[in-house]
Amino acid sequence: MTAGETTHDSAGASLVRRPEVLDGPFTTRQLLRLDEALRIADRSTGLTFSVYVGELDEPVREHAEKLLMQLADPARSVLIAVSPNQRVLEIVTGPQARVRLPDRDCKLAALSMAAAFGGGDLAGGIVTGLAQLAERARRI
Amino acid sequence: MSVTETVLIFVVIPAAIVAVIAGLSYAGGARRTSKRYRPGRPFEFTPVWFLSAPEQLSAATGSAELTAGPHREAISGALEGPAVQRPESERVPQGSTGGASDRW
Repeated sequence: MTAGETTHDSAGASLVRRPEVLDGPFTTRQLLRLDEALRIADRSTGLTFSVYVGELDEPVREHAEKLLMQLADPARSVLIAVSPNQRVLEIVTGPQARVRLPDRDCKLAALSMAAAFGGGDLAGGIVTGLAQLAERARRI
Repeated sequence: MSVTETVLIFVVIPAAIVAVIAGLSYAGGARRTSKRYRPGRPFEFTPVWFLSAPEQLSAATGSAELTAGPHREAISGALEGPAVQRPESERVPQGSTGGASDRW
């Protein structure tokens, strides 16, 4: 996409540049849905949910865990890392988040997300996965 | 009907119509397929990382981020209250992370 590249080159220089997030895999409508899902998940559970979509270095699990550690409060955070080209999905929960969100529930959400991704629906899979995780996260 | 008329009606006009439709479908299709993810086919995009509150991303990499430290602290403190402890040093939580993996 040439328009994106040219605006990217002049990043910071102009005020009217196109937001970089629009060069990502989602349309504006999908971004709004994702934002809403993230906000609801955060508010209803008190955990910090985060979604990463992009390439993951091998080994992917370690890379996803490293991403989780970059969050402000990794212990109480949940990271959903999706790599469409590698066709890999990782859900990483911090130690405290893991208490409320057992691995079994994560696996359930991962299954349904992978099913949606297999059908080519990235945004839909992430939104349903977030909803499922938020619903499963137990209050303490 | 002369030969030129026959050629005009039966060759040039259909060719023009085909060309117009092909052009329209090419112009409209190129934009849409660039956003469409199909498993197994290469999908070009810039990596994205979403948080409902982006200031919760800590400055784990790069010294340039350190200058923004106190500012972000104020923001997240206002939003999250005392629950969020800002990692002053590289605070790595003890205990194992959990989660799940899957492929499609």
